[in-house]
Amino acid sequence: MQSGREPRIIAIDAGGTMTDTFIIDRNGEFVVGKAQTTPEDESLGFMNSSKDALSYWGMDVKEAFPAIVTGIYSGTTIINRLLQRKGRKVGVIVSKGMEDYFRLERGEQTYLGYSYSDRLHVCTHQHNPPLVPRNLVKGVPERIDCFGDVAIPLQKEEAKKAILELLDEGVEAVCVNLLFSYRNPTHELQIKEMAQELIRERGLDVEVYTSSEYYPMRCDFPRANTLVIEAAYAEPSRVHMRNIDARVKEEGGKFDLRIMASHGGTISLEAKDLARTLISGPIGGVIGARWLMDKLDIENAFCTDIGGTSFDLAIITSKEYDIKPYPDIARTLLAIPLVETDSVGAGTGSFIRINPTSGRIEIGPDSAGYLIGTSWPEGGVDTPTINDCDVALGLINPDYFLGGEIKLDKERAIAEIERQIAKPLGIGVYEAASGVVELFEETLKNEVFARILGKGYAPLNYTLLSYGGGGPLHVGGISEKMGFEDVLVPTWAAGFSAFGCACSDFEYRFDASLDLPILPGLPDDAKEGLVAMINAKCASLRERLITEFSKSGVDESKISFTVYLRMQYLGQLRDLEVNTGKEWISGAKDLNEAIDAFEELYSKVYARAARSPELGHLITHVIMAGKTDVEKPNIPLEPLSGEDPPSEAAKGTRKVYRKGQWLEASLYEMGLLKAGNTIKGLSIIESPSTTFVVPPGASAYLNEHLIFHLKTQ
Amino acid sequence: MPEYDKETIEKLIDGKLSWPEVKRMMSSFKDPDRFDKYVQILQDRVDWEDKILLPLGLHLYIVQKADGSRVVKCDCGFEFGDYRDNWKLQALIYVRDTEEKMQEIYPPMMHADPEWVVLREYYCPRCKTQLEVEATPRGYPIIFDFQPDLEAFYREWLGREI
Repeated sequence: MQSGREPRIIAIDAGGTMTDTFIIDRNGEFVVGKAQTTPEDESLGFMNSSKDALSYWGMDVKEAFPAIVTGIYSGTTIINRLLQRKGRKVGVIVSKGMEDYFRLERGEQTYLGYSYSDRLHVCTHQHNPPLVPRNLVKGVPERIDCFGDVAIPLQKEEAKKAILELLDEGVEAVCVNLLFSYRNPTHELQIKEMAQELIRERGLDVEVYTSSEYYPMRCDFPRANTLVIEAAYAEPSRVHMRNIDARVKEEGGKFDLRIMASHGGTISLEAKDLARTLISGPIGGVIGARWLMDKLDIENAFCTDIGGTSFDLAIITSKEYDIKPYPDIARTLLAIPLVETDSVGAGTGSFIRINPTSGRIEIGPDSAGYLIGTSWPEGGVDTPTINDCDVALGLINPDYFLGGEIKLDKERAIAEIERQIAKPLGIGVYEAASGVVELFEETLKNEVFARILGKGYAPLNYTLLSYGGGGPLHVGGISEKMGFEDVLVPTWAAGFSAFGCACSDFEYRFDASLDLPILPGLPDDAKEGLVAMINAKCASLRERLITEFSKSGVDESKISFTVYLRMQYLGQLRDLEVNTGKEWISGAKDLNEAIDAFEELYSKVYARAARSPELGHLITHVIMAGKTDVEKPNIPLEPLSGEDPPSEAAKGTRKVYRKGQWLEASLYEMGLLKAGNTIKGLSIIESPSTTFVVPPGASAYLNEHLIFHLKTQ
Repeated sequence: MPEYDKETIEKLIDGKLSWPEVKRMMSSFKDPDRFDKYVQILQDRVDWEDKILLPLGLHLYIVQKADGSRVVKCDCGFEFGDYRDNWKLQALIYVRDTEEKMQEIYPPMMHADPEWVVLREYYCPRCKTQLEVEATPRGYPIIFDFQPDLEAFYREWLGREI
């Protein structure tokens, strides 16, 4: 069948339960496909999901794949392996005295990912099964000090003994993670050399990983974790990814599949360090937002993603998002850069309960997730959720949830809210439900407000971007009286995260700790020496970039390099990332510019008066990013029509309870609205994947790019 | 409000619930009938009839006797006397106050200096079950762990008279 379409980009997000596929054609139009995730062989779920998506265009895979030029994959293979501790048998060599890393977990890992109340209640803290059992962790006497000088020479006999013991245990990989190896890798490399020799002698097939070659970062515990994950879980997952790539090629695909990495770019599946693709789920939306900002020329944006279980926020200032150098996932601290997003345990599936002690309403932190709430009896949920309140109040159409695929039981939702919330509070059921929704929106509003003000910015300079399945439903309540510059709701809000993956660059990013002090008042000629040290680091990172890109056949001349410096005042604890915008730091002038940029950033993030250049500066990390041009989606462009929506888009009216009274809401079908239309509140715009509420007094203008501008009072 | 069946509470008492289950219970609001279910299970497990008013330890209970007196009682039925008196005074006591005795249970260098701190172990005179251990400086009086205000507990926490 010939549909005349030309698919160009495919983005696949394999989640825990469902694999979403986003396919975009030359005109920026897109389809979303869904299929069950198949953890044993993700290529099955991938193909099914692609078939499902293409079926909307009446195409099959063999017809569509040859036309596709960019394919991006974001999967859960590595993280599933990590969670189930299903990986290769790995032995670890550490500086003597540090052998209990994985059992002590720096304390912090016993409560990572917990709710605030659980963090306070020590009895809930629990150690994880160790990443590496104690008998496979060997300490070797040696010490490099914090200046990179050898304080205790490597005891080679002890090192040899440790290696042999690990080989006797039958390990499949050896990781070497010594203190301060990022300052001076000599000892790690010596051990590596010895190990490789012993492995050769025994005729074994064991790989050796050193932290200085993979993750030359300070914070030796997160670095040890990351190195072990690389060796034990990421490397075996490469086979899975190659399978998917092979399936693509079988079906006629000519593109190389790239994988979404935590720093916001995509990398080849042959990349040396694959562990950096461990976390990618929550950042897709931020990348999509960043792309949208370019297209619409927005300077500052605040991203809000309301999903079923959580509320994710990210702030993008001057078109730059923040990077967290030591993030955590699955209760494990890591040393890989991650696009900074904050997550609050409040989504549309969050449970609502009355706290028996205080008699107050509590939202979350746990949620029904994809089981929606009591309004979906098949889900087996007994506790009411935010969804249930939205259904009860008339905001969600119970017969049009997921396009009617799931029928919701409004009566049951009302009965459960009545029984569990309204009665104990001694108020009416609608009063209770609207109170809950108000509290929910107020909570999210506070989170947004706190984050913008906390960084020293004002909402007036920011555009609020709302996406996720529940975003458009509550954006009215959240943005009200906040005074944002603009409020944007893309019509494809529900699939915005998968879409965001398709917008990412082909980009590698390598971080390295440096800890280089710049004393106050240092003359420029002395700075030249520092510049040489920075550039030495840059050169080695640049080498790595070139090697990685060459695996995908990208020549050095096609790569654009950028140096980032993480800096802080000497003696302070928090560093900030400065984009130098340069390929090299070519002299004291460039370094002075970077220092000025830091001062500027510091005064924005903290306060102008808090700047303390008299303390001197410290360059903590050097970062080299390299990217090359790839095809990205086009923004939809529709001809503008009149202000009034076409009559076929109108779907009648519905009674909605809001702030103590019943109001009549006009209903519209989102897909039938035309660019240029303005919808006045109170209106509800429905689509199969989301519901957009325009509050009374507000209006929503659908622009030529199919993005709503919401204007509230 | 969470509610657990008797079997779950029994597993909780016996330490047979998985960690995620225990964690979920700890992180949720307290089930309002936990105390009564818990005490009922303990009551079913002992051979005697006296009503348990409050569990006092792993093997000890404050019970109400037919004559109205309230005494501390062991699993095995041994009675330590009025709950307002320290039951430890009626128990068998073993004091670890030398290096040798400490090293029966601790590796060398891993225990307190017996010149400074001693361990006192309390046993039931009848069934010889270990009931309590306390660590005190030498010569410190026997500690009276806990004397509950039973009336107030029942009235203010359980909402009923004892």
